[in-house]
Formats: sequence, structure tokens, C-alpha cells
Amino acid sequence: MKKALSITALVGLLLCNGVVADAQNRIEFKEFKLDNGLTVLMHRDNTTPIVAVSVMYHVGSKNEDPQRTGFAHFFEHLLFEGTENIGRGEYMKKIESIGGTLNAYTSNDITYYHEVVPANYLETALYMESERMLHAKIDTVGVETQRSVVKEEMRQRYDNQPYGTILRETFKRSHQVHPYNWPVIGSLDHLNAATLDEFMQFYRTYYVPNNAVLSIAGDIDYAQTEAWVRKYFSEIPAGTGTINRPNVTEPKRTQEIRDIVYDNIQLPAVILAYNLPPKKHQDSYALSMLSTYLTGGNSSLLTKEVVDKQQKAVGVAAFPLDLEDGGVFLTYAIANMGVSADSLQHALDEQIEKVIANGISERDFQKLQAQVENSVVSRHASVAGIAESLAEAKTFFGNADEINHEMAKYNKVTREDIQRVAQQYLAKSGRVVLYYLPKSEEPKQ
Amino acid sequence: MKKISIYLLALVGACTTAFAQVDRSKYPEPGPAPQINIGDPVTFTLDNGLKVFVVENHKLPRVTYSLVLDRDAILEGDKAGLTSLAGDMLTGGTTTRAKDELDEAIDRIGARISVSSTSASASSLKKYNDQLLELFADVLFNPAFPQSELDKLKKQLISSLAAAKDDPNSIIGVVRNAAMYGKDHPYGEIETEKTVGNLQVDDFRDYYNTYFRPNVAYLAIVGDITPAEAKELVNKYFAGWQRADVPKHEWPAPQKTQGNRVVVANRPVSAQSVINIGYPLDLKPNNPDVIAVNVISRILGGGSSGRLFLNLREDKGYTYGAYGGITPDKLVATLNASASVRNSVTDSATREFIHELKRLHEKTITQEELDLAKAALAGSFGRSLEQPSTIASFAINTEMHKLPKDYYKNYLKNMDGLTLDQINNIAANYVRSDDLQITIVGKADDFADKMNAFGEVQFYTVTGDPEVNMAITDASVTAEGVIEKYIEAIGGREKLTAVNSIRLVSEAEIQGMTVSIEQLVDRNKGVAVQNTKLSAQLLSSVRVTKDAVTVSAQGQSQQLPADAAAAYQALLDIFPELSYQEKGAQLELDGITKVNDEDAYKVKVTSGSNVSTEYFSVATGLKLKTESELAGETTMNNYATYEGIQLPETITIVNQMVPLPLKAVTKEVVINGEISEDELNP
Repeated sequence: MKKALSITALVGLLLCNGVVADAQNRIEFKEFKLDNGLTVLMHRDNTTPIVAVSVMYHVGSKNEDPQRTGFAHFFEHLLFEGTENIGRGEYMKKIESIGGTLNAYTSNDITYYHEVVPANYLETALYMESERMLHAKIDTVGVETQRSVVKEEMRQRYDNQPYGTILRETFKRSHQVHPYNWPVIGSLDHLNAATLDEFMQFYRTYYVPNNAVLSIAGDIDYAQTEAWVRKYFSEIPAGTGTINRPNVTEPKRTQEIRDIVYDNIQLPAVILAYNLPPKKHQDSYALSMLSTYLTGGNSSLLTKEVVDKQQKAVGVAAFPLDLEDGGVFLTYAIANMGVSADSLQHALDEQIEKVIANGISERDFQKLQAQVENSVVSRHASVAGIAESLAEAKTFFGNADEINHEMAKYNKVTREDIQRVAQQYLAKSGRVVLYYLPKSEEPKQ
Repeated sequence: MKKISIYLLALVGACTTAFAQVDRSKYPEPGPAPQINIGDPVTFTLDNGLKVFVVENHKLPRVTYSLVLDRDAILEGDKAGLTSLAGDMLTGGTTTRAKDELDEAIDRIGARISVSSTSASASSLKKYNDQLLELFADVLFNPAFPQSELDKLKKQLISSLAAAKDDPNSIIGVVRNAAMYGKDHPYGEIETEKTVGNLQVDDFRDYYNTYFRPNVAYLAIVGDITPAEAKELVNKYFAGWQRADVPKHEWPAPQKTQGNRVVVANRPVSAQSVINIGYPLDLKPNNPDVIAVNVISRILGGGSSGRLFLNLREDKGYTYGAYGGITPDKLVATLNASASVRNSVTDSATREFIHELKRLHEKTITQEELDLAKAALAGSFGRSLEQPSTIASFAINTEMHKLPKDYYKNYLKNMDGLTLDQINNIAANYVRSDDLQITIVGKADDFADKMNAFGEVQFYTVTGDPEVNMAITDASVTAEGVIEKYIEAIGGREKLTAVNSIRLVSEAEIQGMTVSIEQLVDRNKGVAVQNTKLSAQLLSSVRVTKDAVTVSAQGQSQQLPADAAAAYQALLDIFPELSYQEKGAQLELDGITKVNDEDAYKVKVTSGSNVSTEYFSVATGLKLKTESELAGETTMNNYATYEGIQLPETITIVNQMVPLPLKAVTKEVVINGEISEDELNP
């Protein structure tokens, strides 16, 4: 009896395996394009009566004039101020009053505005996003208020936050030619110097249908949704301004850049940053798996060796910040008490060099595949997440269906690829090494 | 003819509709409100008392198990840190798997298992369900509590505590809670290097045996699983879990303060002040007012349409965000409002917070605000149902907080039924603008004097101790008397005066290296020397005379400016307290405070340009701590006797020159021994 059971269980397991080999649930969607160039993506899921509506504008800090940095992020704030038909301060209030939620974020590459509303308010959300694209209100009052808000955001995120400047300090050194050099939040001086006219010009150039993807996911009817989209977005004229897409490649460096940043901290931190290929590069998948091998899960290499066994760090993380034109593979660790930055760096290097020299074992590779499968399968648990994934895939890969091929792309990565990308991208030459040290250690002038 | 015109008109009408400009002047009409359905989990209870809730949802091929323990708040006391580490100790290894094997087994199936002191969860793809449960049960029921894990976790926690002292957002939590509840309350107690150091493996075993019991536990199973499957698995893995009585604990409610209390923790490097305003109150989760209070909280400071956000950010631009509200709690509920603001507007922002509390108390909520808040909360309720785990948490909350059976099913209806009158009355009841605790972490120099307008300012350390907490009631205690008592305590004036030279060698660990510090003082020659060595290598040497202080390091010498020199010149006296009177030092007794849990007299000493604050134990008379702007803070511990004179064996230095508290242990003391000319002239 017992034997029979276990055989059944085994068969069951095999069957499951057969099914799950293709586990990534396909995200069905429909796509169309308006004459003014706006791309529209729709995904229907009727399980919960809510809908996510979002617009991804293909503008981030890298599109800015080097003398006017922080514009894209500033617009993330400004475009909530109101439109010709929606009064100042009303935008957020309206979304809340219909039981919705909204937010926005800006990266080096894109600006993303999104809301989730009850399904019966889909038309309202579309109307509001179309207002923002057609005629946002950009006036002195709004600019002045948001300037001081951004000033406080800067203080809160960077100045008053231990280790808050890691990204800013890293990109300043990893990208010396490419506009990823300056932080997304930009410069206060630039924002202070900018005229209303300059802001208007930026708006007319970048926040236009031909530079945007409208992505909708949730409890919708495809035909009705398309009709509403056409109703509100068709009349928005295509932009005619020249979109600045930087066409520079960060030159390959052969010298390691080392620097020290003194911060209001107690425990030193070590940052190792390696320049990455553009996001679309096929090596992105192997690099993502490599980062999981290094710090994903308690048995990952750096967590096990540096945190657990050697106890040199209280925490360590490695992840690819894969930007459109090539970001950085960022590894950072915060030292345990009494451990110097030097000794911590040495411990990190030792492990990374091991991967470069020996690659990873077959056993570890299988583990890695299971971890990746779990995270890919778990990814699309919300309609908001699906809307965002679709918009990203369209913006960066030119093809929203890319999200359905993610698992297949990961499955193509071989054990040898992991070692190869480690060798190719995690070389010491050309990387940026930053030590974050307590201000108390700063040499007095 | 008439017919035709009607016909034409109809046609024109049709055309207009087809080519109409979109009416952008108003919002589109919404469709009919969708039905919100809240499913019921399948519920059953095992013989050992474990209550299980199963929510079947096949959208993703995953299953998540979440266990919640319902116990009263506990006081960890001199073992504070126990509950912080309890979860990690459970995942630190089982009787059958060392931590390495356990970590490896979990990652091999791409699973997640995490445990805290009152909860545990495990999730993986459905195909690994059996392996996952086997691992989860192993973690929950066979913990090994290895000593090596405890040592490691203690070290990490102590490091994090050190790091937290620099994080204004951590500091404000510590200071606010310590001031509000007191350090002898579960919500106010604080983990320190000392309490974490006290933790033993047996403490975790006891905790586990006492509180990890099925009769106080709820297990939610959510995802790609049928109730029948779930039942079978739960029986297999959880039925053997033994029930036992779990102790109950009761705690007094914090005393209401009379008048505002302004609690300030000084962080001189701050670019912003973190402000937290609030008070404790009584509001249990099953109080019928909770739904109304949620609405009121939303109006006050929930999100970007809250009054706090609109006033402090959108109108004044003081901050990136200001939020607040009332959180119900079984033990003590709190009203909390907070923001990070630039230093110069600390007082103005505080004024606006108080203004908003006052306004809310005065029944000013409008119908529009009420409708907005209701809609926002209803929306967020609806959105939360997208995650199947919500239904499980609803069921667990209903049980745990003894809510009415249909609480969540009626939630929207009950909220919708609240009238403006009801809301305003309840707001007046729960929200007040006086007797507040105003806690601020920031650069005190920039705002402290202006904060007196709100109430008496009390300074707290970043670790939640009042800077001075007692006035001296005994009028016979004087500063001079405290100094004399100290002189007496360490050996008496006669013995101390006879000390003409001293050699003192101590050792300290800096970033894994041992540094030795040698101090030589010859009082007759008026020379003191301080050498710092790493192994045998001399790092720096300081030579002190009454005329000059010279620092030599790496082959270069430099004379210190007069103000910096003064701190070193105190060394020349060996026991400067002996000559306070003779040198006309100003002494000022400034109450009693705590130094490492010991009552201490605080004496401010001004001698020439040198100003320091010295702390002397009330009980023993010994010096516990000294601090000055130049030399930072030095704490003395473990006094030992050398030739009849008491000197501290351990001193801990915190100042601008050392990144972490530097603990120096005395290795050698020679009193009135020979010190050569060479040594005095390095």
C-alpha cells in the first residue's frame, strides 16, 4: 500500500513537472496605435472589479539638457498640478474620490504615471490621462510649490538618509560621458534657473502621444475600452519637437576608479559597480541570474560566505540596474562592526573571482533555475504589475509580447553563460569601487 | 414639409453626435458600481487547537502558508532583542539540518521561508508543495538553536544598533516610544548592546516552548490548492504539534501627560528635522468606532488628499510628505502624525500639525471630505481583494480580534452609513490638540529655543534616555561635595597627591586590529606623552607641556592650537580634581541623570577655556563619564585598585576621531615608577 502510494505521488510529480515546464502563465493582450502615434495596450482580467490605467512616457533624466537636469523628475510632480479642465490640486483628489489610487515615478529612461480605479471608472481615468497629455497646466504657482517639495525630497532621500547617495555617487563615476552621469532628481540650481517657457517647451517635446504607451489592465471590455481611448486621445496632436535621445556609448574603461564618500554612518559600506550592456542585450538574462547566484536567497554565494560564514557584513546585495543604454551591475555590502572596508572588499572580490575562475556547479545552476522560475511565475500577481510590464516591454523592446517570453529567455541561459558574463562584465579593470566611511574618519583639512 | 424638416433635424442631430467635440469640461459619468464579493475561506480546527483557513485560487501555480501566533505583548527587559532574533534562530538550523543545508534546501526549490517571533510563512511553486511543507515543518517543530548562530546574530544585531544611532528615522521611533511608554513597557523598551549581549540559547528555547503553540496559532493556506489537499497536508504536518497553556500578560496604559511634552533628540548633522506628534489612547480593534476612526484618520493624514499633506506639503512646501492617523491596538492605540521638514521650519511645521489636530477636534469635517475619505477607503478595500491572501487575513483578524462574524462583509455598508454628525462627534472624541507628545530628531541648535512655545523641552539621548531626569532634592549636596566624595572614593586626597608619575597602557580593537595606547605623565617635570601603536609600529605621539601640545605622526609634527591643546593639558595634573579649587575652576551641579542605568550627579566644570561635564555615581562616588566638545564622550567602567588608588579598567571613547565606540582595556599601570628622559621626549 505504501509503495503504491509513493509511486502515484511520483507520477503526480512528473505530470506536474510536465505541465510546469511551461509554467509562465501567458498574459493575453490587445494592441493598437492611434494616428497621432500613441501605442495602446489592453489586458483583460475580470477576477476583481478594478482596472489599472497607466502612461509610460519615454523620457527620463538621460534626455535632459545637461544644464537643466531634473526636468523629467520635476514633471513627475508638475503633472499632478492640474490641466485646463482639472483644477489645481484636483487631480489626486478626484482619483481618490472615485476610490482609486495613483502614483508616478521617474527613472533615467522613463516617467511612469499610473492609477488603479474601480472598473466602472475606467472612462474617468482615461479622460484624466488624456487631459494630462493634451493640456497640462504649467504655471508659476505650480512650479514654485513643487520646487520646494522637490528640495525637501532631496533632503529626505539623500542628505538625511544614511547611504542615501550611493546611486548618485556611483553613476557620477560609472558614466562619465553618458547622461546617466547625473542623478534623476537633478540639480536644484538648474530647476531654480529654469524659466516657465523652458518647462513648457519640455512638456511639448516629450509628453506627447508619439512618445508614450498607454497601458490598461483589469476588468475591462476590449471594444468599449478602445472606443473610449479613441474618444479621448485621438484629438491630441502628435508632438513635433525634436526628442533628444542621447547617442553616446560610455567608453570602456581599463582603469579601476576608487573613491571614498564620507557619510553620516557608523558602519562602512563597500560598493562595486560594473558597467552593463544595454538593457536589450541578450546577456541581460545571464547577468540577472548571476546576481541571483551572488545574493538571491540565504544559500547564495556572497550571503553564505561573506555574511554567514566570515561574518564580515551585516548584509550584501547584488543586482543589475539594467538601463536602456546600459546601467551598472551594483554590488554593495555593509560591514559588520569592527570590519574595515578594505577587508570587506577583499572578501567580496575573493568570491567574485571564484565565479570568474571556476564558474558555477551544475547543482547550483539547477538551483538558480528553480529560483528564477519562482520569481518569473510570481511576477504577474496584480493588474497594476501587468500594465507596467506590458508598457515596459513595449517601450524598451518594441514588443509587449516580450513579457511572455521571459521564461524562455532564461531557459536559454547555460551554465557556461553565467561564467562567461562574470568574466566579461565583472572584471576589476574599469569598475567603480566606492567606500562609504563614517564622517568621523574624514581627514581634517 | 414639416415631416422633412424633422427628418433633417434628426439627421443633423445624428451628425453632430458623430462629430462632436469631446466634452472635456466635466468628468465622464461612471458606469454602475460593480458588486464587491468577499469569498469565504474553508475553515477547520485541528484537535490541538490550530485554526486553519484555506483560500483556493488557481491564478498562479503557487501556494503560500502563513502562520500567525496570537500572544500578549511581553517585556524582554535585560534580554531585549530576544523577539528580534527569535525568528532567525528558528531558521538557524534544525535537529536534522544545519543552517547551510536548510538554506540550500529552500533555495533549491526556489522557495521562501521566513519566521519572526510571532509569525512564520512559506511559499513556493505548487510543484514543490510537499518539499516546502516538509521544510517548513522541520523549521517550526525541530529547531536546534545552535550557539554559533546566536553568536553571529548577536553580532549582526549589535552592528545594526550602532548603525541605527545615525538614522534619524530609527532614532525617532526609539525616543518617541521610550518617552511615551517608559522603558519598562513592552512598547517602550529598547535593545542595547548590553541587553543583546545577555541573550543565551536557552532564552530562545524557553520562548519557543512557551509561545509556539497550536492553540494560539492561525494558519492561512492560500493559492493553487484544494481544501481537501490542504486538509490532508495539515493533518500530516501539523497534527503532532503539542498544545500547552500560553501565559497572559497585562500592561498598564501610559499615563496621560498634562500639557504638551516636547522631546528633542539632538542630531547635529541633520539636514531635516523628523517630527512626530501624538498621544496614546484606548481603542481596541473591535471597538465599534474603529471604522469611523479610520475615516477620520484618512481625512487627517492618509495619503495625498489628507489635511496634513495638503497643508504642509502642497500649501507650505515644508516637506516631501506629511501623514498621520490613529492606529487601533489591543494594548495601547496611538495617534501619530509625522513629517521630515527642513530645520528652519521645525516650529512652523509643529504649529501646523497642532492646528490641524485642533481643527479636526472642532467638528470641521465637511460632507465633501467625508465622501472623499469614504470613497478612498472603499476603493482601497476593493483593491485589496485582488490578492487572495486578503480573504485569509480577514478571517484571521475576525478571530484574533473577536470582531463580529460578518465584520468585513458589512464593512463597506457600515462605513457608507456613517453620517457627518457621527463622524464629527467621534473626531471630537478621539482627536485632541493638547497634552501631546511632540518628538523631534534634528539639529537642536536650529530650533530648540523656539520649541519652548509648545511646552517644556526635554532632551533625550538618541538611545532614548532623558538627558537629565531628576532634580536634586537634598540641598546639602553641592558640586564641591560631589568632587570631594570622588577624591575620597578613589583613594583620598593624601594618596592622590603623592602620585608624581604614572604609566598607563591600554589596548583597544579598531576594525579587527589591536591598538595600544600608552600614557606617561611626570608631574614634577610637567610633561605628558601619549603614544598610539599598532603592533610595534608607532602611529602617533602627542607630547604635552603647559606651553605647547605637539602631535607627531608619520614623520611630521604639528603644534595644536590653544583651544585644542587645553583638553590634552588636563593630563598634566593626573588628577585634575585635586586642584579645581586652587585653579579657580567653576563647578556647577546640574541634577541627577542616568549613565548606563546608574544614577549620576552631573557636574559642569569650567576651567579656563576648557569646559567639560563630569558624571559621578550617586552610590559609589566614582566618576562614570566625562564629556566635552573637544574630547567627545568617555565612559569609565570596572574600577580596580592599583597601590590603593582606584582606576577604571575599561574606558569607552566616543568622539569625532573614532568611527565606533572605542573600548580601551587597561593592561598596565605603574605609579611613581621611573620614566626616562627619552620617553618624555619622543
